[in-house]
Amino acid sequence: MRLVLLKKRIIGTVIIKNGWAVQSFGYNRYLPLGKPECVVENLDRWGADEILILSIDRSSNRLGPDFSLLEKLASLQLETPLIYGGGISTIEEGVKVIGLGADRICVDSLLHDNFNIVRKLSERLGRQAIIGVMPVMANNGIIKWLNYRNKSSLPLKDGMLDNYTKTVSELLLIDFLNEGSKDGFNNKILEDFIDVDLSLILFGGLSDGPKIKKLLANKMVSAIAIGNFLNYKEHSIQNFKREYSRSNIRDSYYKERYSLLNDK
Amino acid sequence: MINNINFCKRCLYSEAHPLGLILDSEGICSGCRIHEEKDKLDWSERWDKLEKLVEPYRSISGEQYDCIVPVSGAQDSHFILHLIKNKLKLNPLLVTYNKYFNTPLGIKNLVNLRIKFDCDILYQNINPKSVRKITKSTLHQFGSIYWPILAGQTVFPVQTAVRYKVPLIIWGAHQGLEQVGMFSHEHEVEMTRRYRKDHDLMGYEADDLLSVFNTLSEEDIWQYRYPDDKDLNEIGVRGIYLGNYVRWDPKAQHELMIDEYDYKTASFRRTFDKYDFVDCFNYMDLHDLLKLYKQGYSKVTDHASREIRFGRITRDQGLTLVKNYEQKPPEYLDLFQKWLGINQKELQFIINQHRNLSFWKHQYPDKWVFNGLSSMNQGQKAEGVSKDLFLESSTLEDKIGKKYIVFGKGV
Amino acid sequence: MKRINVTIVNYNVGNYASLSYSLKALGFNVRVSSEHSALVDSDIVILPGVGAFSSAMQELERLDLVGSLKDLASNKHPIIGICLGMQLLTECSYEHQHTIGLGIIPGEFVSFENSRLHIGWNTLEGINSEKNIDSNKSYYFNHSYVYKGPSKYQICTTTHLEKFASIIRNENTIGLQFHPEKSQKSGKELLQKIINEACVA
Repeated sequence: MRLVLLKKRIIGTVIIKNGWAVQSFGYNRYLPLGKPECVVENLDRWGADEILILSIDRSSNRLGPDFSLLEKLASLQLETPLIYGGGISTIEEGVKVIGLGADRICVDSLLHDNFNIVRKLSERLGRQAIIGVMPVMANNGIIKWLNYRNKSSLPLKDGMLDNYTKTVSELLLIDFLNEGSKDGFNNKILEDFIDVDLSLILFGGLSDGPKIKKLLANKMVSAIAIGNFLNYKEHSIQNFKREYSRSNIRDSYYKERYSLLNDK
Repeated sequence: MINNINFCKRCLYSEAHPLGLILDSEGICSGCRIHEEKDKLDWSERWDKLEKLVEPYRSISGEQYDCIVPVSGAQDSHFILHLIKNKLKLNPLLVTYNKYFNTPLGIKNLVNLRIKFDCDILYQNINPKSVRKITKSTLHQFGSIYWPILAGQTVFPVQTAVRYKVPLIIWGAHQGLEQVGMFSHEHEVEMTRRYRKDHDLMGYEADDLLSVFNTLSEEDIWQYRYPDDKDLNEIGVRGIYLGNYVRWDPKAQHELMIDEYDYKTASFRRTFDKYDFVDCFNYMDLHDLLKLYKQGYSKVTDHASREIRFGRITRDQGLTLVKNYEQKPPEYLDLFQKWLGINQKELQFIINQHRNLSFWKHQYPDKWVFNGLSSMNQGQKAEGVSKDLFLESSTLEDKIGKKYIVFGKGV
Repeated sequence: MKRINVTIVNYNVGNYASLSYSLKALGFNVRVSSEHSALVDSDIVILPGVGAFSSAMQELERLDLVGSLKDLASNKHPIIGICLGMQLLTECSYEHQHTIGLGIIPGEFVSFENSRLHIGWNTLEGINSEKNIDSNKSYYFNHSYVYKGPSKYQICTTTHLEKFASIIRNENTIGLQFHPEKSQKSGKELLQKIINEACVA
């Protein structure tokens, strides 16, 4: 009898900077990819379990969430759950993002600036709709949480995130140093993470290989988010699911509409 | 109005590049940075990787094609076949898409290719009525005459791979990598439907055109449809780029093909490169003019940036060449007008609608002032680029004449 | 063959684009409206929803839809509630405070044990089965409250820490806990099946 029926998720991640979908390396080097709509639509067609959009320059530039992007995406006929993060700093903004078609939202700066707003958003939208984003690094058994705007980092101690358990659904841990590096994710981030009663989504340097199998097997981990590495080959999501088919993830799916092989 | 466009300090590109270009903290663009890999990577090691990659695709019996190779009468096709047949010793099925705007020189080069490399070749010909309909619509709406060609060239090899059950498709260089450094050579990026829709087709696949244009119907566009994921997966279709495994240098490669395989070249009004695009009357002509109107720069900037990166000309020489060539008038508009069935006034009216007002100022009827990227780019006038930097051995008309060559018997 | 007319209830809670497109792609005529006449006029009404139960009930009251929906149900007009929409169809919810729902399907919503959440793709198991449910297909769930009610109204269950009803039904009113419009191929197919069957009845 299978005990765990809820599948682990493979999240296709799109980093957006200056209106462009980009590849991101270590939070400071970028390569262009193309129009966000094209990248998102592609992930939808490939059957990603969720699509995560991180608009990384919105908060620093005080631009608020990218509503026009969300409007564009709403017209794409997507059939995949959408998570949006970037620039959400008020309750109205969070609610509007969901109103424009996102299923869940990510908050990063807001966790530092005004946790009360995160609490209110959680009440309005449901805790399941809120994800806390934490860029982190592992250092001698201590996990440090980066505030990327003022570049300061806070060493995490047990108990520090207890008030998050009633407010957010999951934590998105970003290994920002290894973002974009093949198989670069630092396992210590998971191993040394403090005790907190929340599921973790891992992101940054996750591409392929046996490391991911171990991560997916860890009961703290509910999902793996992949960014850059989905853009180098066709059917990357499907290939990924095939590679980890024994890790309780949803099967891969190949869309069919006008077959050349099975002409009717 | 675009206020502050930043330019690369090394090549001539700017952040306004349509494929997306990123400048680093030293003011060097992503394209130049990736180009640096050409002199850093171990190319013999990368060639070994390529050998290993293609090995499983070799037909054991020798009675099936090993790969599909998209070709034309220009565009590195000779060099690609040289690598595939002579070095990799693969048995390819060539595929080519009829552009309609075919020059006699391009047809000659294509025949030369087929015969010299002794290959089987498939031609795709989409009916002219549909092609004209699509071209008219996209010209009006997007200021583009090239959608059917780009769509056909990028999809016919994939359809052939599925239909003939030959999974491996081998392309030359990846445009996004070569121009703007979209990927590192080490990413070994492969062909994706996403890139085609996003960058080759301006965000519009075949079925998307139906929602934009009520002049088009399914019978006009179905041939441009990308094969389903299910079909691609069943056959195991995969498109690789030789440029990830070979130090890609179009000028050097073309010159090798001129010497060894009698590839013929021609000069153009609008650029100093004489090797590429000789198979099309419009690519370096009306199509290039539209690029200047819409993007504020044209192909000569691509050529100059490429040659700067290879160290064959300086940045100032490049900018001088650009300013020299980009305003030269097109020569083959009449052929296009005749083909599409519009007159000169109509054509000029349509294309004027697509001038990007960030780069063009309308002074009075028929007078437009250019303030494009080359005007904003800082640089000194510099002469000294040899006229023999590129060598021509023929003309586009190749003694046959100024007319689109129709694909027929014996080609 | 006559096309089925679907009206999506517009009560300013959530986004209807995905649902709308999915339904259109399946060949249904789709309207989004908060007018009683548009609901009555349809072959089937869909009540979507995300967010808090109490704010949603407030909106329904403000738009005078509570009575409409109850009337539709008692006239056996097919209704499908999705996610929060399903919750609203029941008697009440204990989210934040006790709030009365539409009461169309007996039962109530309580939180998962230990305030757990259910996020992700999970499977369905048919019980009281008139439907053949393929337990290999999965659907996207995103909720923190579960249905507790008489088993006669439970059509399918799903297991996550505990077993709970993922599809409930009372006469012609159906509740889906998951998001069929976000569940790609399997979601669309199931939605089509449910609508077709509900409208034939």
